Amino acid sequence: MSSRDVSLDYVNSIVYDLQKAFWDERGKGARFRVTTVGQDYFMDKCLPRIKAQDVEAIVETIEQVLEEEGVVADISHEIDGRLLRLKVQGCLHENVEQRFVAKGVEPFTCIPANLVVLAIEKTLDQPVELAEIKIEDGACRMLLVLFESRPTFD
Amino acid sequence: MPEQYDLIEAAMKIIQDRRSVRQYTDEPVSEEHLEMILEAARQAPSGENAQPWRFIIVKDPATRKQLGAIAGGGSGRRFTAEFVTKKMQERFLSLEDEAKKKAIFEKLTSGRVSAFLADAPVSIVVCGKKDVWDLPYDTSAAIENILLMVTALGLGACWVIAPCIDIRDEERLKDLFGVPEGVKVVSIISIGHPTRPHRPRPRIPLNELVYSEKWDIPYYEEEA
Repeated sequence: MSSRDVSLDYVNSIVYDLQKAFWDERGKGARFRVTTVGQDYFMDKCLPRIKAQDVEAIVETIEQVLEEEGVVADISHEIDGRLLRLKVQGCLHENVEQRFVAKGVEPFTCIPANLVVLAIEKTLDQPVELAEIKIEDGACRMLLVLFESRPTFD
Repeated sequence: MPEQYDLIEAAMKIIQDRRSVRQYTDEPVSEEHLEMILEAARQAPSGENAQPWRFIIVKDPATRKQLGAIAGGGSGRRFTAEFVTKKMQERFLSLEDEAKKKAIFEKLTSGRVSAFLADAPVSIVVCGKKDVWDLPYDTSAAIENILLMVTALGLGACWVIAPCIDIRDEERLKDLFGVPEGVKVVSIISIGHPTRPHRPRPRIPLNELVYSEKWDIPYYEEEA
């Protein structure tokens, strides 16, 4: 693995341009094509750390990884029935979301949220949908919907 | 006695009569009709004449169930997300009939709006090879040809994107049908004999759609 320092501005400008290209091509449908972004990182850094089999503990594990790895400065969550609310401050990629908001486009990708979704889906096989990403009071606030089970129609 | 139309009238009638049909009788779609539908798809325009479309015919009841489950699951997730963020309520703000509104919300958030794939006598899984430039456009043209031929044959069809719009669901479909990495699952087209006639859905008038030379300068002054 390379230890070479990379400018965060450079990384975020590339991430923004890639996301913008998706947005320009697919509009509001772009969000559904980026739901697995972060999966290699998840397999490498997150999945080996997940030991528990309940949503609360799984989310906490992802939060620990993200804070330890310096991806976010602070992350917290609350579960209210089927709704999972994530609050992220000091995310490495917050500039990407801010640039979309400045253009009047609702942000449609959040790596921390994707990691939480991947963790719940891979561990419990329970579907999760990222419903909303908002920036309020200097924090990113994500709303996710938890589903009991995957439909089988058997 | 069959109605008689000249070619222009017939073309417009087929286009205008097309509906999204989600309920079918048990009557199977004949092989003769299926081949005509696929031949129509095959004749669609294609950039560089690459013809990236490939089609998987699904009739097996067990596979249809799985298809319906993936479609219903995807729709249910997305519409539930739209509901909890109140965007669905905004979308249906002009609908005053509260009972009807509630029924629509329930149908959408439950995923039933797409799970009907399980009950379609036949579905065509439309795939596209990725090693071409115009995959989405070519395959969409083929799909429209499918829908028009279905209409001409007196059958009903629905263009369903629910089981493949999210990459997670598309991956499930690819596993289900053994679709290789270099191929994208674009859409599912369900086909069958409609259980009932369907009314036309409203269309935006041409004077709101067509511009003259530059964006936002109406081509038609009056509703056309």
